[in-house]
Amino acid sequence: MSINVLIVDDSGVMRAMILKSLRMSGLPLGETHQAANGQEGLETLNKHWVDLVIADINMPVMNGEEMIGNMKKSPEMRDIPIVVISTEGSITRLEQLQQKGAAFVHKPFTPEKIRDTIKNIMGLGGE
Amino acid sequence: MAEKLEAVLYQVTEEVLEKLAFIFSFPEEERDRMDYSAAVAASVSFVGPFGGVLIIVISNEALPELAGNMLGIDEETTREQQHDALKEMINVVCGNLLPLISGKKSVFNVDAPQIIDHGVDEFCQNICGRDDETVSPAGMARLALDDGQCDILLFVEGQLPDDE
Repeated sequence: MSINVLIVDDSGVMRAMILKSLRMSGLPLGETHQAANGQEGLETLNKHWVDLVIADINMPVMNGEEMIGNMKKSPEMRDIPIVVISTEGSITRLEQLQQKGAAFVHKPFTPEKIRDTIKNIMGLGGE
Repeated sequence: MAEKLEAVLYQVTEEVLEKLAFIFSFPEEERDRMDYSAAVAASVSFVGPFGGVLIIVISNEALPELAGNMLGIDEETTREQQHDALKEMINVVCGNLLPLISGKKSVFNVDAPQIIDHGVDEFCQNICGRDDETVSPAGMARLALDDGQCDILLFVEGQLPDDE
C-alpha cells in the first residue's frame, strides 16, 4: 500500500521540509500533492485520491481549521486522516482540533515525530 | 520580568534555529545591536491576551545557509526561498514563544509573517508610533551565528501576564 499525501501550507519552504521528512521517514509514499491554503487544498481533494492530509492552521484565504471543518461535512472527505503541523501552542485550540479527529505535530518537528504520528493515525503498526 | 523575557527569547530562538535550520547560535548579550543595513528582517504581528510584534534580523551572509539548510539543498537558493525561510523561522519562533510567556491556555491570533523591505529602525518606530526618541523593545536577543549575526526583537502592546 502506498500513501497519497496532500500537504497544505502557505510556506513553500515548509512544504518542502515536510516532503523531505516524509521521504526520509520510510513510509510508503505514493503521489504527493501540495496546496498553499485550505481552499486550494479542498480543490485538490476534489480532483485527486488522497489518503492523508497534512495541514497548517494559519494560512491566508482559508485557514486549516476551516478546511478541516469543510472536509468533515463532505461524505467523500470526512474519513481522510488529518495531521496538523503548526506552531500553535494553545491547548484550547489543540483540543478543538483533536475533537475534529486531527492529530497534531508541533513545529519545529523531527522526521521521526511525523512518521510516528502518521503511523498512529493511519493505524500502520509494524513495517 | 525583562530578564525572564529575554531568557525565554534566547532559549526559544536558539532552539528553533537549531531544530529548524541546523544552525547553532551563541548568545552575545553584551554586543551592540547588529548593523541592520547589512541584514534582512522579517516580522510577525499577534493579538491575544497581549498584542505585539516579533522581529528577526539576520545578516545577509547567513541567510543562504538558513534557507539551504531548511530546504535540505546544496544548490544556491533564490531570494524568494530565502525570504520564505526567514518568514517561517520568525513564525515558528513566535508560535513557541507566546505560550511560554502567556501560558498554554492563552489563545493568540498570529498574522502572516512579512519581510521588512524598508529600514528596520523605521519599522520599529512605526510600531511604537513615535519618531523622536530611541525605540526600545520589551525584550531582545542578540546571537552569533557561524556566518554573521541574528537579533530578535519583541515589541509588546499592553501588559505582559506577570506585570498584571
